[in-house]
Amino acid sequence: MHLNTQFMWETFLDVLYGIPVTLKIVAVTLLVSAPLGFLMAVSKSGEGRVGRRIIVAYVSLIRGTPVVLQILFLYSLLPTALNYLIKEVLGLTYNIFNLDPIFYAYIVFILNTTAVLSEVFRSALATVNSGQREAALAIGMSKIQAYVRIIIPQALVAALPNICNTTVSLLKSTSLAFMMTVKDITAIAKIDASFGYNYLEAYLVIFIVYIFLCSAVQGVFHLTERNAAAYKRPAAS
Amino acid sequence: MRPFHPQYILEVLPQLIWYLPVTVAVVIGTVFFGSLLGILLAAGKVRRGRAGLVLANVYIYVIRCVPSIVLLFLVYYGLPELLSTFGIDINSAGKGFFVITTFSLLFGASMAEVFRSAYEAVDRGQREAAVSIGLTEFQAFYRIVLPQCVRVAIPNFTNALVNLMKEGSLAYTIGLIDIMGKGQLIIGQNHGSYSLEIYLALFFLYWVLTLLIEKGAGFSERRLTPEKKRGGGASKCI
Repeated sequence: MHLNTQFMWETFLDVLYGIPVTLKIVAVTLLVSAPLGFLMAVSKSGEGRVGRRIIVAYVSLIRGTPVVLQILFLYSLLPTALNYLIKEVLGLTYNIFNLDPIFYAYIVFILNTTAVLSEVFRSALATVNSGQREAALAIGMSKIQAYVRIIIPQALVAALPNICNTTVSLLKSTSLAFMMTVKDITAIAKIDASFGYNYLEAYLVIFIVYIFLCSAVQGVFHLTERNAAAYKRPAAS
Repeated sequence: MRPFHPQYILEVLPQLIWYLPVTVAVVIGTVFFGSLLGILLAAGKVRRGRAGLVLANVYIYVIRCVPSIVLLFLVYYGLPELLSTFGIDINSAGKGFFVITTFSLLFGASMAEVFRSAYEAVDRGQREAAVSIGLTEFQAFYRIVLPQCVRVAIPNFTNALVNLMKEGSLAYTIGLIDIMGKGQLIIGQNHGSYSLEIYLALFFLYWVLTLLIEKGAGFSERRLTPEKKRGGGASKCI
């Protein structure tokens, strides 16, 4: 077996430019999906039969089908559908085909991650005893105050390991963004490899890069977990 | 707006279903080889020896961090080269070989955790009690310990299985013709038209497969739960 180390080093330097793209997709997705998923989790346990049915069906569909299929479907549907919407319905002249494809990546991964996070939050909220909410309301807090000050801090401790898992699998899924012509880590490696058929070397490089990124994500969550659980430790005197 | 023909979904479904056995075969092959790997890794984790523990933990950590598609390409391009240095030529091996190898490597890591937690969930006293009332060692394992292990393992196993089936759809990227690959082929033959209809048909197939797996899992979980425990306290699962 012969590896072209010179090529591997050059690919590594190229791939570094893809890391911000990958992390941007992960960050934007999480920032949008977390509140949406939380709202879904709350409304799932609330009243309203129709809304709950729709949410259950949505979560089941998203979780029951491959991400790659969701990407291919939305990437072949959205550009033309948006173009029609803008040109025919709204009467604007904006050319949707100039849009940075990363926006399609945002949409796909937000749709996907929201479904997963809604389940994570639902089970986390269920770990907080309902007495906590009742006590908070009894001492005069509003519903929102009860959530923000009492329920969420406790539910977060239970949710963090699962949020970490979700983030790791999101990070891994972003490797499919190259199908939407987004220039992320995997896309850059693929392009570099295709010049001289150095696929093995290129994939070895990003194999290592993904392990580093994933370790960094897990490290961040580890620190957050310790901070979030601080209230469980006895106060220092 | 491009034209949309819902009736084409029904037209294309039979053509896709024809390739369902390939998708299922990949899953079954992977479950078999992945479980073997999972047993080895789980044994490494529960047996005493430190080396086995470290090795299993490192393997599971690395696999957890690597996107399936990267591992798939790595195996597809790397394995023939790696084996050729040992004088083994697998360049003529089918695409299915590389797909099952890749997903076995991935599935083995999740199965290791499934096996380990199931093994540790069953109390030692169960075996001892069974042996003390006169069951043989084999009977104690087969009739007492195994059913309890299986019941504990079912939810995690189901998750891993559904994930495997979904990830399996990536096999088309190296040219395996399963339902996903056939869908892409048809789209190619149509020069890109009807893609939405074909993707919707694929959504339908994958969703049905997932629901079937989950239904089957729920059924076997109920079968393995003793009467006494079935009634009270069972959490509702949607």
